[in-house]
Amino acid sequence: MNKQRWETRPLEIWGKAKELRAQWQRSINEAAERPGAMLAHGNTGEFDWSIGFDDLTVIEDNPVGAMMASKSDAFSRKCRLASEVRGWGREICGYVQNCWGSQFLGYEMDDGAFPFRDMSIPFPDPCDQHLKRGQQCMDLSPIPRWGADYPMYLGPLDPKREQAFIDHTVYCYLQIIDDIERIFDHKFDDEKMIGSLNILPALREQALRISRLMTHTPAPIGQKELYSFYTLGLLTKVDPKETLDFWTSFADEVQWRVDNHIAAVATERFRWMEAHPSPWNFLKYFRYMEKYGAVCIGSQYSHIISGPIELGEDGQFHHIQRKKPPEGQEIRTREDAFRHIFTEARGYRFKDDEYCRKWTITDFAKGFHVDGAIMPLWRGGVGCTLTRKEQGLRLSEMGVHVLHYEGSQPGDRTDLDERRFLDQLDTWMESLGLEKLEA
Amino acid sequence: MKTFKEILENRHAYAKSWKAKTGRKVLGFYDTYFPEEVAYAAGLMPVRILAEHEADDVTDRLMYGNCYCTRDMLNQFARGRYDYIDGLVSIESCQWWYNAFDTTLIMFPDLFSHYLFTPDYLDARTSKDVMRSELSVFAERLEEWLGTKITDEKLDDAINVYNKNRALLRRIYELRRFDTPVILGSETMEIMLANQVMDKAEANVMLESLLSDIEKREPYQDCVRLMLLGSETYDVSLERLVESLGANVVVDELDNGTGCIANDVIPLKDRLMAIGLRYLGKPHSALKDSIWRRRQERIFQLYEDWQADGVIIAKQIYCHPHGTDMYAVWKLLRERNIPYITFERDTTLPQEETRLAVEGLISQIEPGRTRIAGWSRSGAKTG
Ligand code: SF4
Ligand code: SF4
Repeated sequence: MNKQRWETRPLEIWGKAKELRAQWQRSINEAAERPGAMLAHGNTGEFDWSIGFDDLTVIEDNPVGAMMASKSDAFSRKCRLASEVRGWGREICGYVQNCWGSQFLGYEMDDGAFPFRDMSIPFPDPCDQHLKRGQQCMDLSPIPRWGADYPMYLGPLDPKREQAFIDHTVYCYLQIIDDIERIFDHKFDDEKMIGSLNILPALREQALRISRLMTHTPAPIGQKELYSFYTLGLLTKVDPKETLDFWTSFADEVQWRVDNHIAAVATERFRWMEAHPSPWNFLKYFRYMEKYGAVCIGSQYSHIISGPIELGEDGQFHHIQRKKPPEGQEIRTREDAFRHIFTEARGYRFKDDEYCRKWTITDFAKGFHVDGAIMPLWRGGVGCTLTRKEQGLRLSEMGVHVLHYEGSQPGDRTDLDERRFLDQLDTWMESLGLEKLEA
Repeated sequence: MKTFKEILENRHAYAKSWKAKTGRKVLGFYDTYFPEEVAYAAGLMPVRILAEHEADDVTDRLMYGNCYCTRDMLNQFARGRYDYIDGLVSIESCQWWYNAFDTTLIMFPDLFSHYLFTPDYLDARTSKDVMRSELSVFAERLEEWLGTKITDEKLDDAINVYNKNRALLRRIYELRRFDTPVILGSETMEIMLANQVMDKAEANVMLESLLSDIEKREPYQDCVRLMLLGSETYDVSLERLVESLGANVVVDELDNGTGCIANDVIPLKDRLMAIGLRYLGKPHSALKDSIWRRRQERIFQLYEDWQADGVIIAKQIYCHPHGTDMYAVWKLLRERNIPYITFERDTTLPQEETRLAVEGLISQIEPGRTRIAGWSRSGAKTG
């Protein structure tokens, strides 16, 4: 049995992360009160709306719902009940139920009024729940709402489809901006948008550094740490420059940990991966697995900030070479800027992989040298479960030990049997010949 | 096979004999947003994949959290029921359908397959252009696969056949608006389901003859009139149960009911654009009704036009599009004091449970409560 013990220590970047997160929360609360400020439901995955509209704060129901689930079981249960009595069933994404249940109740976890959304901006995604989610704030009051698609296709690159899909996507974004300018009388700052185009790629470079460093043994950080930071800059938007500085310092610190053999888990002897989010109300199973010397190196989901990555022949992760905007093309208008962002129609996010690039899950396992995979089977929220069993089979075929457990959805604890889950972990670990190293 | 009922019950045999007779190929599809006209113009018979009630020892290792109908669709393929299908196509729609499609292709990689993107955002200026482009990509793939040319003449012919088919089916629905309808809900749904697995030219001949027959029928007596909402349906067990309780389903707002016959392709010089516009403009499914809600008003209009007394919402377990839209439907029904029940089902109908629920609903609609006591134009006893 491996007796090696590595040094562990908390990340120094923690304080900064907390500060940024608090800044984001403050911006939401202030936006709700500041005259002239606009608060939108939506998301900013590929494009940050607030860069061009500096008075616009965009919040998505996912992080709101996830936070509720992790912070207050009692309150999130109340929210879900409020949604259920209005017709939503058990198959609905728990985040959606929590967030909009709070809107149905009219108040939030801290008893403050649920902030009124001034508009609903779409967040296109392969998951069907994304498609319908923007309607709830519109049902409350007839606020402006827009649509957008997530066009995809299978098979080789097809110029005809590329052009039609990209035109459609760009048009939808341009229409939203035009309408916001017209309806809310706020000017969109094209220059600022154009100036910010390099931020996301730069941020992804830093995040990729971290992903690569996590392939080391011992893993310098684990899923727990990734979860504390991975939304900063994506779902949780703060000042872009500050975000980039944060990720650079974070990557530097992880590099330092690798250089000095600082581990996430002192007794690392088993590496495992996940798929999709964990149950936010029950993250203690990471700590529980550590008793066995088992470290979670993340999931395609928690490494999402690295952007589209693939495993190269050198055994390292690299950014996928997507089509580049034409060399030397001057970006003068917002349309140019969008065409610079959307150079390819086919997606490369981890959820697109379930459609288009099924081998990426096994590449992920290979690249991170995992021994096992814990794959939740969520009953609610189609996008969290689609193909999970097939992925499990693919991993098993390559020799990765797979454990499935069942629950409702990461934001909904209703069907998660915590005791049973821990028992499953014990049985799984013991069946692999591992015993607890600590009580 | 003479009746729609017989064709539905022997649909695989029907398709096989069609293939033998014509020497042509069969293309499977899932959602009614699939633009069948293009496939038909290529000489294919588009057949909608329907779920059955069959024991399933296949899908559990491959699927989780799906509605049972999509699990059964995979099960049907695994059991070889669809061994006559030459190609399979999925569109941008419910992800569980996509999942059934995708996993079937893993089992049967040699099938011709295509994923056709039909915008979820139906109303953008560019939605029609994407749809048009997707139809032309699809048409090219079919041409390449079949070695044929999809000419304007062939598209015109397909458009005519399909428009006629929808018009004939609408006539059947119109007959259900009468106080004493000449056709029951179960009979109508049998026709609708059989029609989805048939060559539409043949279906049209049968529909014309059926219409001339049923218009001569003795009407059924006036009884409690119900409307059916919810996930698409694959059998008529619910309609039959309702009828056994002395009521009748007179209208539905199902994707594979009124949802697929409400509008036609309006002829345009650009045939693919015309077809695309028809599908973008059809009544929104629960999933695609994702921006400004259109479903509620349509439900209410159908409810009023068909003079329904109450509503049954039958949802497939784990049907997220209907689960998510239920809020808006309940709101409408509650605001307008429409009696309704909601229940969940899978490919089989829980008989006793459903009977109790439907009886409960019918008891709310007794004459003297929401209907005028004892009134009937025909003089037949109501209730
Ligand atoms: S992918 Fe999962 S978390 Fe995201 S919206 Fe879908 S169900 Fe919810
Ligand atoms: S719409 Fe509902 S019933 Fe139909 S495939 Fe999707 S989840 Fe299943």
